[in-house]
Amino acid sequence: MIKARKVSQLVFLFFFIFLFIRARYPYEVSLQSDLFLRFSPLIPLFDFIDQWKISLVFWPALLILLFTPFLGRYFCGWICPLGTTLDATSHVLKSPPGRLAQKWQKLRYLKFALLAGSIILALFSIHLWGYLDPLSIFNRALTIVFYPLATFLIDHSLIGLSRVSFLESPAYGMYDFFKSLIMPEQQAHYQQLFWIALFIGIILGLEKVSRRFWCRYLCPAGAWLGFLSQFRFYERIVGEECPVCNRCQTDCKMNAIPEGNVKETNKVECIECFNCGAACPSKINAITYRWRWKPYHTPIDYTRRQFITTSLASIGTIGLLNLGLNNRSARATMIRPPGSLPEEAFRDRCIRCLLCVRICESNGGCLQPDYIRTNLTDLWLPAANMREGYCEYNCNLCGEICPTDAIMSLDLEVKKKTPLGLAHFDHNLCIPYARHEDCIVCEEHCPTPDKAIKFDVKDYELADGTTRMVKYPYVVKDLCIGCGICENKCPLVGAPGIFVTPENEKRFDPLNWI
Amino acid sequence: MKRRDFLKATAVGALGVNLLPLTYPNKLKAEDPFPQVVWVENGEPEQLLEAALRELGGMNQFVSKGDVVVVKPNIGWAKKPEFAANTNPDLVGAIVKECYTAGAKEVKVFDNTCNAWNRCYQYSGIEAAARQYGGKVTQTYNHRYKNIRINGEAIKEWSLYQDYLEADKIINVPIAKHHSLDRVTLGLKNLMGVMGGNRGSLHSNFGQKLADINMKLLPTLTIIDAYRILVANGPTGGNLADVREKKTLVASTCTVSADVTALKLFGHKMEQVQHIRIATERGMNKFDLNNLQVKTIRLAS
Repeated sequence: MIKARKVSQLVFLFFFIFLFIRARYPYEVSLQSDLFLRFSPLIPLFDFIDQWKISLVFWPALLILLFTPFLGRYFCGWICPLGTTLDATSHVLKSPPGRLAQKWQKLRYLKFALLAGSIILALFSIHLWGYLDPLSIFNRALTIVFYPLATFLIDHSLIGLSRVSFLESPAYGMYDFFKSLIMPEQQAHYQQLFWIALFIGIILGLEKVSRRFWCRYLCPAGAWLGFLSQFRFYERIVGEECPVCNRCQTDCKMNAIPEGNVKETNKVECIECFNCGAACPSKINAITYRWRWKPYHTPIDYTRRQFITTSLASIGTIGLLNLGLNNRSARATMIRPPGSLPEEAFRDRCIRCLLCVRICESNGGCLQPDYIRTNLTDLWLPAANMREGYCEYNCNLCGEICPTDAIMSLDLEVKKKTPLGLAHFDHNLCIPYARHEDCIVCEEHCPTPDKAIKFDVKDYELADGTTRMVKYPYVVKDLCIGCGICENKCPLVGAPGIFVTPENEKRFDPLNWI
Repeated sequence: MKRRDFLKATAVGALGVNLLPLTYPNKLKAEDPFPQVVWVENGEPEQLLEAALRELGGMNQFVSKGDVVVVKPNIGWAKKPEFAANTNPDLVGAIVKECYTAGAKEVKVFDNTCNAWNRCYQYSGIEAAARQYGGKVTQTYNHRYKNIRINGEAIKEWSLYQDYLEADKIINVPIAKHHSLDRVTLGLKNLMGVMGGNRGSLHSNFGQKLADINMKLLPTLTIIDAYRILVANGPTGGNLADVREKKTLVASTCTVSADVTALKLFGHKMEQVQHIRIATERGMNKFDLNNLQVKTIRLAS
């Protein structure tokens, strides 16, 4: 069983990474990369709270949830890529044995508190659970931390090797091979790197405290699956021949075998890794796994008092989230991907998985995980930074790949006419206005068939009395789609002479759309 | 021999020697036997190229056995060929093929694109067309741009693409397009595709800066693609109404001469286009532009 479980863990891990790597131009919609985010068991729950209906697009998660009351938290043990990563980390960090880590057991309520809190907030239309969703965390860490890091290391070691004369051509061959199959077109650079790295670093680092610390005490998806598996039908049976050597208890990843009662399993905590069966000495072999139609019940470790505290804290949080400074200037930089829902709905639907950021990197590369500008919910929403990239005119892939349709999938011809914002000239900086020299790099790059940047040609009288013809550019609002290539290509070294704000942006509300 | 006979014979002989060139005029002339610029019209890209190369003495004149050749088309934009924003892919493919036929060891095709390179290479059709004939099509890698001393009037140093600088032979294949900054983009402007760094900053005092850097970049052969040309909203285009089908090709070993000749497509004069005028003032032209020998060929349709 352990072997099967390990194979399943690796297969899913590599399948998810494969889908992640395929999330780049040219993206084929036939095998959707967002499939793996739709495995997240939390999505159908919160989608239901948001929409009050069950969306079948989340069929992988629905399938998992369907079997959970019978099989328990098999998702955590067999499928979850974050869990697999944690298991691998545990080997590296040498987690303490089960007995030593037992003292943390009283924290089990935390994950239920986080789940209950997330549900209460979601009922008030504040969706913060995406930050804690395990698949979202995994994808976020891959996008921002691990994948760019791997690219950087491979890239630089191959370039380093190519400097050794006789290795030059094989190194370049490898380089092209990696470029075409795995590495992005250019090295990705992200803001919020520190915080996202810290976030995943802490989750992985907690393996030093106990095995699967995250899954035991914090993961709201684990809490949700645990809640559903209280009456699990598939049980661990310990035979009479058990001498109570406690090896299964020591070897349990989840501390799900209570001390002093090895015959019972905490069904809410058990992730069915089957370590216990293997730990049982082969001469005795007291542990078997069987279906039973009259299962015993394991209550969840979450008291009424804790629930009341959580509720009060959540209501307080809802209030505080509405009290932050509503700085209108901060809106200037919140340029959302094309096809985004209206801002409120967008924040509710977005799970901060950053798949859009990932796929954008192989195109215009403008999307970045946002930081907190006015309010906690700003954090890690996708926002365009046009100085780092721009929105590629021929690309609609962020909408194609969004797992929760926070970014609607737009037809390419519709997307080409969908403004993300509007470009503005800063006459104090823009070269023709500030120095009366020609430039119009922005006009040159403007991708609309009828250019949204046009220019006046005027004579300017120089100090020495001679005149010079200068082209003074301006923006035509009705033509501008706010793609930001003008801002991106502006040759000024620091702040650009032209910049995009969300002015004139078009959002798509599916309720009022077509 | 009598003195009279000697004089007679000398006179006849001298006359004969002087008359000889009349009978074999081309063989004894010391001048270059090939036209300075070839203008071919009314054909498909491959036919235009074939005719032009025939006039210029064949690709063997430019590419020798074992050469590493860089073919530098304009692949700047994520636009399909019919929008005339990039060089015609069939022409690029045919040039790659000719280079290999002439014995080239390797033919590299690249451009420092303005949009995401993968889309540009794919949409333009150039990646597929060049690969079909064995061309090595790669993106331009950041680590292969090298800072080169220019010591020009406006530019002292600029980063240029290593593969271009190291190539044995270079074939510059621009497309003739409208450009809002300086009216047109042709052979000289196309060489910006091997420059790195902040290229936008070249746009002020453009003519001087371009001439400075181009001094280091002049190619072996320039083949201007004017199969389709863009007459407005350049250099990006995107509107079929701005595209004209000219079915023309201009080729020369001198980039400036080719550019000056191609201006006829747009009805511009050399004086109107600052960067070409400055290039001539710098003496970057190989031929006398006032007395340019242009061979015009109109293919039978």
